[in-house]
Amino acid sequence: MDIKDFIAPFAVWKRAFEKPFTVKKPIDERPGAPRYRGFHINDAQKCIGCGTCEAICMNKAIDLVPAAGYAAKEGDSGLRPRVDYGRCCWCALCVDVCPSGSLGMSNEYVWIDSDPEVFRYTPGVEAKPWDGSPLGYRRAEGYRLLEEQRVEMPELDYKEAVQTFLELVRGYSRQQAEKEADRCVSCGVCIASCPAHMDIPGYINAVREGDMQNGLRLLYETNPFPEACGRICTHRCEEACAIGTGGDPVAIRWLKRYIADQVELADYGKVLPRAEADSGKKIAVVGAGPGGLSAAYYLALLGHSVTVFEKDSEAGGMLRYGIPEYRLPYPALDKDIGYIESLGVKIERGTAVGSAVALAELRSRFDAVYLSTGLPAAYSLEVPGDKHPRVLDGVAVLAAATRGEPLGLGKRVAVVGGGNVAMDAARTALRNGAAVDILYRRRKEDMPADPDEIREAIAEGASLVEKAIPLEVRDAAGAIAGKQALFVWNEARMVQKEDGKRPVPEAIPGAVHEDPYDSIIAAIGQGPDLSFIGEADRLELRRFKPVVDGFGRIAEAAAGAAAEPGAPASASPSKAAAVFAGGDLVNDRKDAISAIADGHHAAQGIDRWLDRKGS
Amino acid sequence: MNELAERLARRYDAEGWHEQRKDLASISIPALRVRDVLAWLRDEEGYKHLSFITAIDNIERGVFTLTYTVRNHDTKHSLMVHADIIRENPVVDSVHLLWEQAWTYQRELKEWFGIDCPGSPRKDEEFVLEGWDQLPMMRRDFDSLAYSNATYAERPGRVTHDPAAYMKAQLYPEADQ
Amino acid sequence: MKRDRMPYIPPAERATPDLDSGKYLLMWQGPQHPGITGNMSLRLVIEGDTVVDCETHVGYLHRGFEKLMERRSWMQNFPLVCRIAVPEPDFNEYCYAAALEELSGIQIPEKAVWLRTFSLELMRLASYLMWIGGQAGSFGHGTIIQWSATMRDYVLDLFEELTGGRIYHMYIIPGGVRGDVPAGYFKHVLEVMDTVQKNLDDIELVMYHNAVFKLRAEGLGYIPPDWIDRYGITGPNARAAGIKRDLRKDLGYLAYPQLEFQPVVGSKSDAFERARLRLQEMYQCIDLIRQCIDLMPKEGPFRAKTPNPLYWKVPAGETYVAAECTRGEYGFYVVSDGSEKPRRVAVRGPSYTHAVSVMERLVRGVNIADVAGLMVSLHTYPPEIER
Ligand SMILES: Cc1cc2nc3c(=O)[nH]c(=O)nc-3n(C[C@H](O)[C@H](O)[C@H](O)COP(=O)(O)OP(=O)(O)OC[C@H]3O[C@@H](n4cnc5c(N)ncnc54)[C@H](O)[C@@H]3O)c2cc1C
Ligand code: SF4
Repeated sequence: MDIKDFIAPFAVWKRAFEKPFTVKKPIDERPGAPRYRGFHINDAQKCIGCGTCEAICMNKAIDLVPAAGYAAKEGDSGLRPRVDYGRCCWCALCVDVCPSGSLGMSNEYVWIDSDPEVFRYTPGVEAKPWDGSPLGYRRAEGYRLLEEQRVEMPELDYKEAVQTFLELVRGYSRQQAEKEADRCVSCGVCIASCPAHMDIPGYINAVREGDMQNGLRLLYETNPFPEACGRICTHRCEEACAIGTGGDPVAIRWLKRYIADQVELADYGKVLPRAEADSGKKIAVVGAGPGGLSAAYYLALLGHSVTVFEKDSEAGGMLRYGIPEYRLPYPALDKDIGYIESLGVKIERGTAVGSAVALAELRSRFDAVYLSTGLPAAYSLEVPGDKHPRVLDGVAVLAAATRGEPLGLGKRVAVVGGGNVAMDAARTALRNGAAVDILYRRRKEDMPADPDEIREAIAEGASLVEKAIPLEVRDAAGAIAGKQALFVWNEARMVQKEDGKRPVPEAIPGAVHEDPYDSIIAAIGQGPDLSFIGEADRLELRRFKPVVDGFGRIAEAAAGAAAEPGAPASASPSKAAAVFAGGDLVNDRKDAISAIADGHHAAQGIDRWLDRKGS
Repeated sequence: MNELAERLARRYDAEGWHEQRKDLASISIPALRVRDVLAWLRDEEGYKHLSFITAIDNIERGVFTLTYTVRNHDTKHSLMVHADIIRENPVVDSVHLLWEQAWTYQRELKEWFGIDCPGSPRKDEEFVLEGWDQLPMMRRDFDSLAYSNATYAERPGRVTHDPAAYMKAQLYPEADQ
Repeated sequence: MKRDRMPYIPPAERATPDLDSGKYLLMWQGPQHPGITGNMSLRLVIEGDTVVDCETHVGYLHRGFEKLMERRSWMQNFPLVCRIAVPEPDFNEYCYAAALEELSGIQIPEKAVWLRTFSLELMRLASYLMWIGGQAGSFGHGTIIQWSATMRDYVLDLFEELTGGRIYHMYIIPGGVRGDVPAGYFKHVLEVMDTVQKNLDDIELVMYHNAVFKLRAEGLGYIPPDWIDRYGITGPNARAAGIKRDLRKDLGYLAYPQLEFQPVVGSKSDAFERARLRLQEMYQCIDLIRQCIDLMPKEGPFRAKTPNPLYWKVPAGETYVAAECTRGEYGFYVVSDGSEKPRRVAVRGPSYTHAVSVMERLVRGVNIADVAGLMVSLHTYPPEIER
């Protein structure tokens, strides 16, 4: 023992006059650090109620509950996370994982109450003093638990693509598909946005697990056109995707395609269900587009015997005669259709209802009839000169391309319209060596076509002329008269006519342009052709549309009311089979998946109706 | 290191040498040789330090896999020595004479897995649990969630909703008709 | 009672005192224990004021972490593991994350390596500051703990600023860390380091050059060097016996190979030597923290990409990742069967032997008043025993 050991301790007396470390009492406000993990805050407007926070929470501290002022709608479940502080451990994994980034934490940590029940609340919905606190834990810049970026889809180079009709999108490899599938959090918010309400998380999980058979089974539960839809679907689901709120949405459509591409047609039968027993009922379907064939598939699964009447020489409807093969190659479509036919569905190709066979006849020969005849009649430009021989109809051009007929579009082509048909026509023209202008009345952002389509059309060399109002088509002068046409259009500006409505184009006086083209392709919309429905059928139509109930059954005029004197007895509604309708003919969405959903729904409706008839 | 693997194979029928890192490997030995192998490793091969002993319930194979992790401080190398014992009658020799802390691990093995190491001091005394009358808790077939549900009450008033199901009920209930 | 009538206890064996003889008193120390030793209890048999026999009893904190981990996904275990050692949680986070990364083949960015090293040293310092208060307090020095608790609070403020939490930092996440340092952070760190260093100088004078502390700690709890391997003793408890082992050097993980330091070793191997050595390590921590700040890359990503946390499947395999914590070898043994949850996670805490086998041996013959001081000199944390 040293003398130092007795004296040294006193040395610190020198600190007696220094400022003490202790804090004054009463304790001053002591805010949490700027990153403090305090009580949750949630930007309830930004939150879409996907529940990923609930899924990650290891303490089961989060419930998803309906929140006042937030109704379920596409892309928003209407639910909001509710935190139970009896369980929360303040780990903030919920904040880290939140796809939209709406969830955060305030730096507030003091909350005293004698009622234990209050420590459970819905941040952002039930007001709290720390709402909107700029301080507190947020996911750090550059740190995400979920992958924001989509796995890039291998595509043909645009320069190369425009030379051929080869499929542009090459499809994911196994590794790419599994990586992309792994981005999904299985919240299921997308399901409501899919017209067919496909089990999206289910089949994405199948990709993740590498279980293609289960994937295919899940696809066919709601959609017998996975090869086609996996390529050309309007993919509304991706707009609702939770991951899309903070990055690229999951490539749901490409993953669907991936599954279907992996399974050989010959193996489909091993996985997919079949009818248990023959019902003895016969159903006629008019139109072998996706809608008609979807109805046929589900009717066949229910044991009914189905005959499809198709006026064209090939089945597929607009998927074949509209959509060009670089987007949907025929073998892929044939695979979908081939499987449906393999279930015993008969397709009478080249048999138009109305000419080859009358609707009334179908109604007497079959137990029910489903109409899915689509929109075959193109709208014309409705300007002077629109009957000029060089003014072509977009759908007809595409159908001719499908049939392999020479298109003779010439060197300079104008495509008028801003929808998918216009993009397809423009890109088909490009592939035929033409220089293409796309003329559209409004702005690019107003175009109804899929943004990818617009981007690709432009990348392939089409030039987009916005705010161009067609005025007139005039014949070219001189030797090329009849071979070329002058397209006259007026430059427009966008005017906000009514608040809350979208702006409308208004012609700028004097800004009139005149350009010569070898062909002018009108792609401004199509309408139905219901000439095969006669008065005697007593089917109710309104504005060229059948009037249908929830299952797609067409309303029938009461017996006698609309009956023509002398109408054939077999057409009497009481005796004739019920007629259902769906697809482009009926719905407003006018895309393949809606037609498929209609077909599925109608199949269920027809089945019930047959049941109810009890015959 | 592979010389060690060979020696272990020759002397003790060890197999499955796996190099996990440059300073970590694993090997499997017959359970009957556990004490011999560990003593030999300790005394002849420099693996003097016992890091820990534990077990893995490989219920699918009907065995418990024991893991003895030892370190050679001179070569800075660790070795995980595995031995399978059958689940039905899980008994293995005690190594408490090799390391003074081993008996605690063996007491833990008894309480958590039901693995018996005859001769290990205080092996049958309670370790971390008190009055436990269920299956040994670390066995895979002891369902801790079921136990917790049966033993503790949920706090009332909690209800949650699945987004997809809720949206279906709100937006397209007809799909269930 | 006469001392010379104490029963002779052979070195390797336990006494079997006859409790009915009236010569002995059975006494429990703990589990309520306001010191840093936490909720553990010692079942002591004493004769007069001398301990004759001791049994360590644990289980008062047991929450079945290892079992819970088998039910949670790989990422969900990240916020769970830190709870296994309350006063020093970050080593759990590191070992768990490193094991996952190793099994999944994930390389973490350089910056993350440094931030991990930095935060682990900061943790070590906080943990030692808590220990030193406990060590002084258990020998009756109430003042030191006032000081060291304040210093620790300053360090916890630094953790709060960096990670958003004071006790459970949940900063070392699989893949890297959860964020870069906030603006101006290292300035705060250096200020706090200066304050702590100044305070440590005071503590050295008051505690280490103090006759009372010396008298009670010197010669107490002597660990013979040949016990080190026999008992699996690690960390300062081993180094104080002259065994130069430090996993930071021996395994060379994280950024330690780039840092300049030598393991602190002693020779006397008693409670005082261990305390002296830990004080030196605290200075070393401060030095390492300063080195980290100097050497750390200023820019760059701090986290590698990991799979979707809801579905992360770690490839089948097993590994054991160890790190040098304040008490010695801390390790996670992680087994994956290739599924979304761990097959088995076993935690190796140094107290497993220090607080049980070693403690039970060392405490025999010790005066009852020194039991707490002895226990703290072994630096034991019960939660890492019971997991
Ligand atoms: C160019 C173009 C591109 C498109 N791109 C996309 C796209 O990318 N994504 C998307 O989802 N949708 C796209 N669509 C829309 C999609 O093709 C249709 O929504 C879908 O095909 C509608 O299916 P449907 O069964 O209702 O009708 P259709 O596919 O039009 O099928 C109707 C069928 O009925 C036949 N038919 C008609 N009348 C009779 C009759 N009297 N007797 C017998 N048969 C008859 C027709 O020949 C035709 O085969 C596109 C459409 C076009 C024109
Ligand atoms: S902070 Fe952690 S424990 Fe609390 S609700 Fe979020 S995920 Fe659950």
